[in-house]
Amino acid sequence: MSSHYEAPIRKPLIIGDKNYHDVTVDVARPVEGRANKQWWIAFSIATAAFLWGVACVAYTVGTGIGTWGSNKTVGWAWDITNFVWWVGIGHAGTLISAVLLLFRQKWRMAINRSAEAMTIFSVIQAAMFPVFHMGRPWLAYWVMPIPNQFGSLWVNFNSPLLWDVFAISTYLSVSLVFWWTGLLPDFAMLRDRAITPFTKRVYSILSFGWSGRAKDWQRFEEVSLVLAGLATPLVLSVHTIVSFDFATSVIPGWHTTILPPYFVAGAIFSGFAMVNTLLIIMRKVSNLEAYITVQHIELMNIVVMITGSIVGVAYITELFVAWYSGVEYEQYAFLNRATGPYWWSYWLMMTCNVISPQVMWFKKIRTSITVSFIISIVVNVGMWFERFVIIVTSLHRDYLPSSWTMFQPTFVDAGFYIGTIGFFFVLFLLYSRSFPVIAQAEVKSIMKTSSEKYKKLHEAHDNHSHSENNHH
Amino acid sequence: MKALYKIAFVVSASAALTSCFNKSEPNYQYMPNMYESVGYETYSESGAFKNGKEGQLPAAGSIPRGFTPYEYPNTEEGYNAAKAGLVSPLAAAEVDEAKGKELFTIYCAICHGDKGDGKGNLAKREKFAGVPNYKDRDINEGSVFHVETYGRNMMGSHANQLSQKERWQVAHYVMKLKSEL
Repeated sequence: MSSHYEAPIRKPLIIGDKNYHDVTVDVARPVEGRANKQWWIAFSIATAAFLWGVACVAYTVGTGIGTWGSNKTVGWAWDITNFVWWVGIGHAGTLISAVLLLFRQKWRMAINRSAEAMTIFSVIQAAMFPVFHMGRPWLAYWVMPIPNQFGSLWVNFNSPLLWDVFAISTYLSVSLVFWWTGLLPDFAMLRDRAITPFTKRVYSILSFGWSGRAKDWQRFEEVSLVLAGLATPLVLSVHTIVSFDFATSVIPGWHTTILPPYFVAGAIFSGFAMVNTLLIIMRKVSNLEAYITVQHIELMNIVVMITGSIVGVAYITELFVAWYSGVEYEQYAFLNRATGPYWWSYWLMMTCNVISPQVMWFKKIRTSITVSFIISIVVNVGMWFERFVIIVTSLHRDYLPSSWTMFQPTFVDAGFYIGTIGFFFVLFLLYSRSFPVIAQAEVKSIMKTSSEKYKKLHEAHDNHSHSENNHH
Repeated sequence: MKALYKIAFVVSASAALTSCFNKSEPNYQYMPNMYESVGYETYSESGAFKNGKEGQLPAAGSIPRGFTPYEYPNTEEGYNAAKAGLVSPLAAAEVDEAKGKELFTIYCAICHGDKGDGKGNLAKREKFAGVPNYKDRDINEGSVFHVETYGRNMMGSHANQLSQKERWQVAHYVMKLKSEL
């Protein structure tokens, strides 16, 4: 034991008297048990919302984009707002699993699985908006540079909307591979514990024949590190590319060089908030309080606070630059945001994004689960409004006053959005009942350094050896 | 063996997907958004008109811009009057012999022959007889124009193939051929 050094200041990441088997049992319990009534209620609500979204999308595709509230001036509104919002939410998963892995953050291990699931499910939601906001979505395959009979007519690689296609599809596929690789040992665990032939078969297929040999683990670690190294620049570039949709335009309020880092910061901000929302519920309903501890929530709150402050600085920078630029269009764009017809959305965004994360400076608040839960929802409301404000307020008042107009969403706009929320929760609820929601293999790897039980053992041992040394 | 089955599956699937097309019918279309015209296209059929044809006759007596009605009637008197009084409106500089030759070769030479000697391909192959030699006929530019416009005996009107100016070019070329025979 004396060969191990762990700073005593570090708090345990696994609470209680847990051994390896307890971890297995705790992680497998939600999968092996039966769903309770609350789960079915939640699942039914999510399914209903999802089906309503399907109906709204079918109506849009069948009837036309004119069923939405977008108009000739405001061509992008809820569709792209929701797209950017969902992509942003998705970013936290990769941040947690990749960036925190690179920084060797052990606290990521209890949350990375669910965070990655959240990434994948929200990127799926996001990916629907670029397709269904098209006037002719059945020709969406034209965005791919596929050799064809139009004299091999190609796409123009200068559009950020095309970069979006590559960014989102790469992001989704890399995230999926990263997630699944990490799932292999955990699926193998479920396979080995399966008692019915059906679950045995299912988890045998899902676990790709993982047998956990030394060579497998060595390569597993290497792959995880390489994928983390690849996913980190990817995650930064994806939301950068999404921000290019606006930043590369000539619209006052959009044409800003600050957008790429500011969007990424906002993405981490909203993504971590969403992880917090989901995990605060999950730790309770799946009895995982020993693994997803208050310390985890506190650390996520700190990330929310930091990125929220970055976003706040970006808001102030934008305002300063607008004033400093001397460009009356730019100045008006920000005057319009603050005092125009959508002032309420701007001030709602400001309140939710700039003020709410600042309460996290107080330890009492950031370690309070109830307040964290509320703030995490407030942050996502604020981040939705951030995208709405950037998109709509910049479009509805720009260069020509004769083109000034307003935007009013229709029930179809709302229905599509509700549908994606429903679909997200359908996927997440199914995930939480069939996938190991905590990366048990990883959690077991920190058992002897960071669990409460072993920390106490170390402490006792250290004190003991100290007193021995004093004797000599 | 497993790979073979896979290949066979891919081949049969692609055959099934691509073989359902009949050469005697137009092929299947994917989402024909703007394939069929919304506007009325020339020569197409349309139920909007009594005879179902897109090309409707203009009102009798109307004169389109840039067009001069031909005043001589389609009778023997009209022919004689055209021969006696009608002269080419083309100024000397406007006469384009190359153009006249080109048009003559397209519309006339099949019967009248390249030289106007009545020995065109159809006459030579005896599809019909009685194509005269210009040498034997008493014609001038006015009478040629008249015949081009209305037709005469076996010959039909060429007014719908050739514009007025083109008919004058051809008439000029016919007179040139006649002088060379």
